[in-house]
Amino acid sequence: MATVKDLLKDKYTQVWYVTPTSTVLDALKLMAEQKIGAVLVVEAGKIVGIFSERDFARKAADGSVSLHSPVNDVMVGAVYYVTPDQSVESCMALMTAKRFRHLPVLDGNKLVGVISIGDVVRQLMLEKDMTIQSLEDYIWVHMI
Amino acid sequence: MATVKNLLKIKGTQVWSVPVTATVRETLKLMAEKNIGAVLVMEGEKIAGIFSERDYARYAAQRESLLLDEPVSEFMTRAVYYVSPQQTVEECMALMTSKHIRHLPVLDEDHNLVGLISIGDVVKQVLEEKESTIQGLENYILGRGYSG
Repeated sequence: MATVKDLLKDKYTQVWYVTPTSTVLDALKLMAEQKIGAVLVVEAGKIVGIFSERDFARKAADGSVSLHSPVNDVMVGAVYYVTPDQSVESCMALMTAKRFRHLPVLDGNKLVGVISIGDVVRQLMLEKDMTIQSLEDYIWVHMI
Repeated sequence: MATVKNLLKIKGTQVWSVPVTATVRETLKLMAEKNIGAVLVMEGEKIAGIFSERDYARYAAQRESLLLDEPVSEFMTRAVYYVSPQQTVEECMALMTSKHIRHLPVLDEDHNLVGLISIGDVVKQVLEEKESTIQGLENYILGRGYSG
């Protein structure tokens, strides 16, 4: 079964991030430029938060955000992460349970990538298709 | 293979929408309240567009404004892809993947809006179907193995 490491191999592993003092507008502009749904907030090499389109829409709805406030004020501080050796299925379970679309990948203390729900689903579909294919092949060869 | 109709039976036919006259603020409040990523924008009984968290984030960045008092109709996506209840869930998945969209309204043959499906609903269904295919094949192999 594939691990997070396998996912990162197929993926351009650039991690887009802002710092806690970047403004909300800086973060949104980066997300728009890179066509991504969330950015990490990183300080001195450590992840201190994550900020997503959803977080922005929710904060705007309750009137608690300004485009010029630091992203530190609106980010989600408790960030779940996964490690390179974890299975893709365990990532899917975490994302589904917590309703996350993005998970940073930490190797020790080092940030090595971010995986999205799209990456995870694509891999799971592929694995299931391969399993189906090999079971069908087995039946053709051995049982018909 | 499951159809959109099967999927709607599981998830329900509730569709959250705002009228074209709604402001961005009203629309975002509805999305927050219902914890959803997109809403349809309706002109009477007709779909005028769809507005998502992504649309909001992109326009706010571009205009450098929160846009809260602007009409949502200015920022919605007007060309809305839709599916019919008879289409398969796999067709929906292909459409969503190729167009990079997360939501599809469901229209019946008379063009009445009968539901809204999200990429999450579709993925869950497709994965379950693949899993049950795997189970079926494994049972077939094991069953034949034991009896033969």
